[in-house]
Amino acid sequence: MSVEVRNLIKKFGNFTALDNVSLKVESGELVALLGPSGSGKTTLLRIIAGLEFPDNPEATVAYYGEDVTRVSASHRKAGFAFQHYALFRHMSVFENIAFGLRVRPAATRPSDAEIRQRVDKLLKLIQLEPLAKRFPSQLSGGQRQRVALARALAVEPKVLLLDEPFGALDAKVRKELRRWLRQLHDEIHITTLFVTHDQEEALEVADRVAILRDGRIEQIGTPEEIYDHPASPFVYDFLGNVNLFSGRVKDGGVVIGETEFELPGKTGEVNAAAVAFVRPHDIRITREPSGTKTFPARVIRSNAAGPVANLELARLDGGDSFTVQLSKELFQELQPKAGEQVYVELKNVRVFSDDYSI
Amino acid sequence: MPAKNIVGKKTRVLPGFHLTLGYTLLYLSLIVLIPLSAVVWKTTSLTWHEFWQVVTMPQALAAYRLSFGVSFLAALVNGIFGLIVAWVLVRYNFFGKRIVDALVDLPFALPTAVAGITLAYIYGPHGWIGGVLEPMGIKVANTRLGIFVALTFIGLPFIVRTVQPVIEDLDPELEEAAASMGATRWQTFWRVIFPVLSPALLTGFSLSFARALGEYGSVVFISSNIPMKTQILPLLIMSELDGFQIGKATALAVVMLVISFVLLLTINILQWWTSRHQQHN
Repeated sequence: MSVEVRNLIKKFGNFTALDNVSLKVESGELVALLGPSGSGKTTLLRIIAGLEFPDNPEATVAYYGEDVTRVSASHRKAGFAFQHYALFRHMSVFENIAFGLRVRPAATRPSDAEIRQRVDKLLKLIQLEPLAKRFPSQLSGGQRQRVALARALAVEPKVLLLDEPFGALDAKVRKELRRWLRQLHDEIHITTLFVTHDQEEALEVADRVAILRDGRIEQIGTPEEIYDHPASPFVYDFLGNVNLFSGRVKDGGVVIGETEFELPGKTGEVNAAAVAFVRPHDIRITREPSGTKTFPARVIRSNAAGPVANLELARLDGGDSFTVQLSKELFQELQPKAGEQVYVELKNVRVFSDDYSI
Repeated sequence: MPAKNIVGKKTRVLPGFHLTLGYTLLYLSLIVLIPLSAVVWKTTSLTWHEFWQVVTMPQALAAYRLSFGVSFLAALVNGIFGLIVAWVLVRYNFFGKRIVDALVDLPFALPTAVAGITLAYIYGPHGWIGGVLEPMGIKVANTRLGIFVALTFIGLPFIVRTVQPVIEDLDPELEEAAASMGATRWQTFWRVIFPVLSPALLTGFSLSFARALGEYGSVVFISSNIPMKTQILPLLIMSELDGFQIGKATALAVVMLVISFVLLLTINILQWWTSRHQQHN
């Protein structure tokens, strides 16, 4: 266990940022803390870094089994990168990266030659060797964030903590940089936690994803686990587009409009109101009805721009509107036009028992 | 209608470079350059020999040392304590903060004579502070220390008001970043914060220094104004004027002008040099 936090509680005035949070991160793991703003993800990261401290005395933060709960940030040996980089603007790229080595006490400070060697190595790692003499104001956003990462790595941290590392970058640079981060992690295998509000980023980069909501960890697991088996409506909704169908519970299934869906193992009060969750790509469209599995709907809008076609449909038997993702081939075949009637089949329907609405 | 040829010309939203530059030059000439050149011109009533004798007389040399030395010290002390005041006003919230913030500006607004009389009283042998210090053997009123106190008083707002916005702009994340890399508090201040603040500190320092050099009103009250000991340069110039020695007075003024200009220019160059890389990210 390289990072373990237990029972963290943190309040800012009346606002509870963390409500009894516990988390274990394995050595060498890349874990994403994912959640909407105000969910407590940044506070959790800052407490792990020692930039913030928990309110309750029984809370613990441990690095590799060593209790660091009351140790200040400067003694924890955690590398931290900020969303807005926090580079020292009066220092060159080289000096920014060398900072952590230069401030060491004389006894453990490497020699100038050694510092040069190590900074050069990091510059190579972030692919910015030619820019060593530049100042932060002369770099692009993506370059600045890479310098910030190298600076955090220079102190040979036990854990690397990244606060929305790509949050201030434009979409294209974001994608490049997050692949680069994954590659970098595969090379150096440092235990890393990063905060993000972008589910796509978390699912693509992380080994495991912890989803936070209102100061609690709602679910933690591999990207596949949490995407395929969301533990709550919140996770389901947060991880991608989702359609909601209101219906009623029946024994071993759910009734939506006049169509019944079998859900083996589904129990609950018969006839109670229920909401079924279906991803847009788990919906099939046909021109003809097929048995009791389909229900009719009307096309409201269709948009074929991009890699997949998106349709907006409305149920004829209830009026709920929902979106469907179709492959381009299927779209060409069906040619659905606004106002036309089609038949809809749902796959991978999830029904959550507790009341939930978006 | 033919299109206006704007190729190769820098276009700006607000035009009027020539007009505003012309106005700037005219204004500076009327307000600064013409009066100052009149001072220089007035000295031509003296021969070179006379001029040299006046500006190197022992009384003048003592006054240069006193004026420049004490002004420098006062600006230096203001630099340190003004920085602390500005830091506290920006970084902390406490009861009465707005009042403290307003107090800082008082030396700007108060007539300097009022400040001088008040300081002379408080630091005098029977004043609140002087009464405590005198038995300990520290004399403030009528000494060089008194001049120092007065010059520190009038220079404080310059440091606070120039450094304050820069501290407001300073991201606390910079300190957190330094700490996470293992820097001590002192290293964080010295290597991360101070270099960012130094251009503003230098500006504040030069304003405070210039203000102290020109100060007259408060010093005449708290200083005993004894030639060779506690007579500042502006006062020496004044006493020459009182004796209708206009040539002598202007000669001293020219020396003061030249030294001040050279010092301020040096500080400006230093400030430009320290801030050369500090464009905003």
